[in-house]
Parts: sequence; structure tokens; C-alpha cells
Amino acid sequence: MTETTVTPERALVVEEGGEPQRGFIGQNVPRKEDKRLVQGEGVFFDDIKRHEMGFVHFVRSPYAHARIKSVDVSKALELDGVYGTLTGDEVAILTDPFFELSTPPGANIKDYALAVGKVRHVGDPVAAVVARTRELARDASELVEVEYEPLAIVLDGEEALKDDVVLHDDAGSNTVWSGLFDWGDFDAALAEADHVVRIERLHFDRFSSTPLECSGCLVEYNRGTGQWTIHGNHQMPGVGAIWMAPALRVGIDKLRFVSQDIGGGFGNKITLHPQFTACCLLARKLNRPVQWTEWRTDQHTANTHGNERTFLDVTVPVKADGTMLGFSVRAIDDCGAFPRYEPLGCIIWAQVTPGCYRWRNVRVDFTQVCTNKSPVAPNRGYSRMQHLWLTERIVDIVSSELGLDPIEVRKKNYVKHEEFPYETPNGCIYDSGDYARCLDIALELIGYDSIDEKRRDAESRGKLFGIGIGSTLDSGTNNFGQSMILNPELQFSGNNEVATAKLDIFGEIVVTLGTVPQGQGHETTTAQVVADLLGCTPDDVNVRAGHDSYWNSHAGFSGTYASQFAVTGLGAVKGATEKLAGEMKQLAAAVFGCSPDDIELAEGQARIKENPEAALPFMALGAILNANNAGLPPELDITLNVRYVYRPPFEKPDLERKYGNLTLTYATQIHACALEIDPETGEYEIVDYAAVDDCGNRIHPQIVEGQVHGATAQALGAATHEIFAYDEEGNLLTPNFYDYHVPHALDMPPLKNGFIESASPFTPFGAKGMGEGGGAGIHAVCAALQNALGRRGVGPIVWRSCNPYHRVWELLQSPEETRKLVSVESR
Amino acid sequence: MKVTGERDFQAPLATVWQVLNDPSRMAKTMPGVESFDIQDDRHWRAHVKIPLGLGGLRMSIDFEKTEEREPEFAKLHAKGNGVGAIMNMDTAFHLSEAEGGTHMKWEADVHVLGPVASMGQRVLQPIVNQQVSHVLGALDKQVQEASAE
Repeated sequence: MTETTVTPERALVVEEGGEPQRGFIGQNVPRKEDKRLVQGEGVFFDDIKRHEMGFVHFVRSPYAHARIKSVDVSKALELDGVYGTLTGDEVAILTDPFFELSTPPGANIKDYALAVGKVRHVGDPVAAVVARTRELARDASELVEVEYEPLAIVLDGEEALKDDVVLHDDAGSNTVWSGLFDWGDFDAALAEADHVVRIERLHFDRFSSTPLECSGCLVEYNRGTGQWTIHGNHQMPGVGAIWMAPALRVGIDKLRFVSQDIGGGFGNKITLHPQFTACCLLARKLNRPVQWTEWRTDQHTANTHGNERTFLDVTVPVKADGTMLGFSVRAIDDCGAFPRYEPLGCIIWAQVTPGCYRWRNVRVDFTQVCTNKSPVAPNRGYSRMQHLWLTERIVDIVSSELGLDPIEVRKKNYVKHEEFPYETPNGCIYDSGDYARCLDIALELIGYDSIDEKRRDAESRGKLFGIGIGSTLDSGTNNFGQSMILNPELQFSGNNEVATAKLDIFGEIVVTLGTVPQGQGHETTTAQVVADLLGCTPDDVNVRAGHDSYWNSHAGFSGTYASQFAVTGLGAVKGATEKLAGEMKQLAAAVFGCSPDDIELAEGQARIKENPEAALPFMALGAILNANNAGLPPELDITLNVRYVYRPPFEKPDLERKYGNLTLTYATQIHACALEIDPETGEYEIVDYAAVDDCGNRIHPQIVEGQVHGATAQALGAATHEIFAYDEEGNLLTPNFYDYHVPHALDMPPLKNGFIESASPFTPFGAKGMGEGGGAGIHAVCAALQNALGRRGVGPIVWRSCNPYHRVWELLQSPEETRKLVSVESR
Repeated sequence: MKVTGERDFQAPLATVWQVLNDPSRMAKTMPGVESFDIQDDRHWRAHVKIPLGLGGLRMSIDFEKTEEREPEFAKLHAKGNGVGAIMNMDTAFHLSEAEGGTHMKWEADVHVLGPVASMGQRVLQPIVNQQVSHVLGALDKQVQEASAE
């Protein structure tokens, strides 16, 4: 077996300062992470064991809403091997509530590590038990006696708005946040329109990603220093610490977050602060390390879901030629029992306000409410996915109702290639792209020229044939200043990420990252960048695996989320490496007695440009500075150990107008789906599928393709099967993989990939974040179903994001039920 | 979950009424009863192991007779606690004389909470149907025995 990395052929030419230069960026170098992962040598938090550690199990509520009358842990404590327990009453004494991001009433919600006083969803943790084994802890938790007084529940977002049942007495309302976004002049657009299409209701269903590795941590408490070490899979520990430290009444430095390998995150692992805080309290109380490994059922029932959103009264003014002038909508977002990361979802969608389109007049009345369901958290495509599904449904329903070709309507309304950088009505800057070209590639991949023939063939076999397009954007690199649009009191804006780089004694190049990789190949792409900047190979670059806040390579926004590693992570790597390169040149210049400008780094050496034989290997540089430094000039102020913080070029938004650049990059996904429906049963099969991606310059094309495949699978799951469904008692009916069907490899259709590279003018390598771009698939399927089921003024309206076979069958049986959701006013 | 049904017994109405209101006889109709305590004539407690999947769902169920109009109508409330499940059930039966015996109409409103409930209707409903069938079969047997006494 070969080692993990080998030097590939240097095929790509990177232009730097006009000089052609070969480089590793853009090549499929072997991934540094793969050897340990495929050999089972990865280290996940659950692989870490400590002497005398205990295992945590959470006692969870069977009620969706109930008052806690008493919690009796005495029988559990009597069991041999049980080390201790934690209850909500203790948590209320030992901690403060986690801070809330919203303004009142949402700001008045009190959220603790365990339920205090009330439970608000099935699975809400009311106590925790620690025992010698995981199984014993689970058994012992059944001995915890909790007396509940059941309360009325509310499961529907619109019902929750009425406040007949209020989840949080301190807030006095289920509304977490509400606000009106009004850009352009929607009323004038309405007056100008030749047609006005109205859609009464659309609904984006509740689903979530399901990482292979459930959440968890091993927590150790050092009584001497008062510090907790958390070996866990939190994917945004910078923000996790901001939540946890004040709640635990300690400084940030008392929380050390460590992770090496993480088995997928997708956003679920951003809001683990309640569970981690409970584990911190237990580790301190019991004076022993404790480990919590989430069961899959708990992950489904009580971790986090993606946002569920209902769109009401959608109004779309359209010109006779198919030009859409904008839209207005009332959006109700259901965030479940606690806001946790919310209400950020109430603004994140605005990063992609007009979708891919040149719509200038947009009015969105947005309200977020609590219901007696699992809390939500960012989920791959967070908040934009729901909004982009809306924009795409608008395009297809309008096209269908007006008898227009949805492909031509898209091309007419897309932002044009020559208009980039393009400023949206709310001040976001779309950096680059060519949507129409991507669409053409997608159509070519699925053989659109012969689509009529395919339709006839399907119909000859008794099938209904449909084709649909999904056009979405993956906005990457958040400007956290958008949070101030929701709550001007918040003190968050901009973004940052950190990397350190050093040249060690034996010439080792060592890089640490502030990011928290979960399978995205950060070690590999970092090594590519460093190798190009230092003139060596990726094999020469040691990127420390994972994240450890003790490395001092983290900042307030450190983590892996929001499609930003290629920008913030590699931006930090670039900055740190350039600083290191500068110091290496200074050192070589001091040794050679020349100017640093005369030095170049190449082939693992620092050498004089005009005399390459005068060269110092990196090993010599490392040894001189670190171990043989007598006689170096005193003014040579270098360490060969540097830290760099990358800050994207953001301004604070205009809070009054809710206007500003909310994110830095916009990767494009244009998907095309062809499917066939059995009209007797509603069963359908995706017979052809193309995904075209434009994420700017690709650092590692194979990693990009892997992300596209994964995001597409996520989208197809969300479109066809994955729903977190509740019964009328608030029980989750899909709490495991028996009921919640995630696409298997065999479920995936033949997938054709295409790409273009529109370099971003705003980022270090012209790259864009691209890890979340899955929403296009949801819409492509919905559009294909719509295309197959209905034509102008006839047939059902696909109004939900997830359409399992039984829903398609229902649409076929009662088309009039959904048809009445749409009306057209022509002038 | 609401389940309803009707049943004819070849026994006098008074006999059926007697069986239905005799906790010790009713205990014999319930599936997986491990112990049964009669607290008074309106309150009983049963410890049962309901066959469910690979294991069994152990549950402690408290019964309370909440309404009674002898000899034709009775209503029971049952609250069960078990590992992974809480069950609340209201059940009622109406008896009337029929040709050759007694006709019973019954209804039950069953609410199951906890992980077991999450298994979903499609799993729970067949189990409930199966258990109801067992109960009715056993009830038939008890009525026959009571008639023979």
C-alpha cells in the first residue's frame, strides 16, 4: 500500500504576478485523511476512554408538553454501578439560562441544559443518570420516577401564533421573532404587472440531516484549574463556548474543546451546548470523566431538526413576456420547542432574497414560532434552502399557470453573467456566476433535446413523465452582522478564522486550523495551499488533524459551517503561510547577507533567485532559528511560528433598511431531474438526473464532487421520503431509520455531474464555499412532479417540499384540492 | 387511537355483566398478566408484560371504574406506566339483550406516549388489534365458564 499522499502530476497552472507557476491547487491530490479513515484508525470522541469514566443517559419526557411535578432519582441511585444523577432543579441552581439571540418575547425564553419546571417536547431531557456502563445508565434511567401534569399542546406553526397554548410562560407568547422585510417597491410592481399569480399556501416539511456519527462528548473536569476538557463533536466550538461559559459562570478559557475526527455534522452539531453543559456539570459533581454518546433514536427525537416553514399568500406580479417583478409572502417558521440557534434563520434566508433572479421588489412578512416539537438548528442549506424552494416553486407554478416554458422563464429572469458582481435588492453582492450556462449544461447532460421522445416512450408504458429544474445558491461565509438586523443589541458582526504555521527544528512545516473538520478534507486542501506558497509538496506539510482550542488557533467564529472553509479557513492558512514564508526569507537573507527580496522558496529550500545553488533547506532554517541561533542579528524579529486571523471584508448592515452584504460568496447549483410516475400508485422513479455546480475555482475537484454527490443525496431524500412526522400527541413517528428513510446508494438515480468555474473576485483563491448546496434537488423533484402531474390550469399543485408516493397518489386522486391553492389575475 | 367493536355472547346479560365487573375474571382476559391486585371494587392494579417485538413491554396499569349503570353500561379509565411507554385508556361497554344471549358494543380510546408510541400507528395498530382479539376470545371463555357455574 502506498502512503496517503503522493506527488501528482502538476497539471494546473496558477498565475501569480504574471509569472506562470505550477501548483497543487486545483488538483486531485490523494486525501491526507483517507488512510487513517479507511483503515479504521480515525479517532472519534467515542474512541476516547478514561479510567473510571461514567456513561451518561438522559431521562426524556414522554409528553410533548407537561408540568414537572416531581423527579425522584432515589431508586436509580440505589442500583449498583450508578455513579450519580442530575436533575433540572440542580441545573437551575448551578447554571444560568443560555443567552437568547432574539428580542422580546423570544429573548425572555429560559433555556437550560435540562428541563426546568416544564417539558416542551417529547424527548426533552428532564434528568441525567451516570453509570458504569452505557447500558446500565439506560436501564437506571428507567428507575427515575417523574410525575408529570400533562398540558395542552400545539404542533402547528399557524396554530401556535394564536397563543392559545403557550410553551414559554416567561415569554408569554410563542412568537420568537417577527419582522417585515420590504425592499424595492412591491406595490408599484403589482400595479405594473400584466398578470398576478397568487399561491395561497406552500409548505416546506420538517426533516434533517442524519450524520453517521451521532452527537456526544467525553468531558473531564480538572478540579485544580477549574477547567473542563470536552472531547466532543461540536462543529462550532467557538460559539458553543460563548453559550456555555456564561451559563456555567466561568470564562471561555475554562472550556477546552478537542476533536480529531467527526463523522459528519451538517449543522446538527452546532447546538450541542445543552447536552455538553449537562455533561460538564456531571463531570464536576461526580469528580469523574463522563461520556455521553447519543442514541440514534435520541438524535432523531430530541437533537435538532431543520426548520419547517409555511408560506402563505404568495403574490407574484408578472409581465406579459414572463418577466417577474418580485414577490410578496407571509412566512411562518416553526422552530420547535426552543430557539437555540434561532432566530438567526429569520435573517439567514435573506442572503438569497431573490434566489437566482433579477427580482427587485420583494416583501416578506416573517414570523418564527415555538411548537411542541424538537428544536431546530442549522441544517445543511440552513434557512436558505427553505427560501430558495419558495423562489423555485414560484417560478414553476407561475410558468405552469401562464403556459410559459419554465426553462425560458428562468433564462429570462436569471441574473445575467455580465451583471456580476450583482447587488440584490437587500444589498447582498452576488460575486460571480453564469446561471444560464449552468442550466444549458444540465439540460445537455440529461439529453433535453430528445425530451419529447422520452416523454412519449414513458407514456407508451403508461407512465407520466416530468422534467424539472432546481436553481439554487449556496451562500458562503456569513457576515454575523446580519444578527443585528434581528436584534440591534447583539454585538456580533463580520467573521473570522484562524490558522497557525510554523517551521520546526527538523524543517517540519506544521499547520493548525481553527476549523473543525467533519469529513471535508481540510488537511488535504490546506496542504495543497501551503505547498504552493512554500514551494514544497503536500507530503511536506503536516496539518494537525482536527481541532483543539489549546492550540491557540481559534477565534470567536471558529468552526466548520456556513460553506466557508475554502474562504475563511484557507484564507487564514494563506495568511499564516505567507507570514511564515516572509520570516523564512528574512532568515535566509540574514544568513546569506542579502535582501529578503532576493530569496525565493522552491523545492523545499530557501535560495537566492539569481544563484539557486546558494540554498538553505527548510531543515536548516528550522534548525538555525530554533536550535543554533547564536550570532543571528538582534533586529531579526522572527519566530518561524506565526498565527494569522482572516477577516472577510464585511461592513455592518444598515439595520433600518435591513440592508447589507450578508455573505461573501455565492456558489451555484443547477439541477435537472427527469422522472416517471405510475399513475395508479403514485410511485415514481427518477430516471435521469444532472447536477451542475459552480463554486468558483476548485481547490480539489474530487472533494467538490463528493460534496455535490452528498448534497444531492440529501436533497433527494428530503424531496422523496425524509419527514419528521408527529402524531396528534406530539410523538415523533419517524424516530429511527426504520421509519425515516435516508437514501441508500441503491436509491440514488444515475447522477451526472457538470461544473463551471466562475472565480470569486472577493476571496483569496477565487474559491467559494460549497458544502451546503443541496436545495436544488428538492425543487428539481417538485418541479418534475408538477410537470408530470399538471398543465396550465389543470391538475394538482405540488405544494409541499417532500412528496412520498402516498402524497403523489393523493395529488392524483384529488387534484382539485390543491388546484384551488392557485389563482391568476390577468389584466 | 380509537378502537371499537361489537360482540355477541351466548349467555344471559346478567352473566356477562358479572364477568365484566369481576376484576379477578377480567384479569384472566388480559394478555401477559403477571400479578393483579384488587384495591377495592372500583380500583385495580395489574402488572402486565405485553408482547411487543423482540422483548415484552412491562407495564403497571391502574384501573378505575369511573361510571356504571348496572346492568348495561360501564366505563373504565386505565393508566399504565412502563419502560419506554405511558398508556392512557378510556374504555366503555354497552350491553343489551339479544336473541339467544347478550350483545356488547365497546369502544376504547388509547393514548400511548413515549418511545413505544413513536413506533407509529402502522406497528401499534396491528398489535392493539391482536391484543383486542385475544381479550375478546378470553372474555368469551370466561363468560362460558361463568355460565357453566
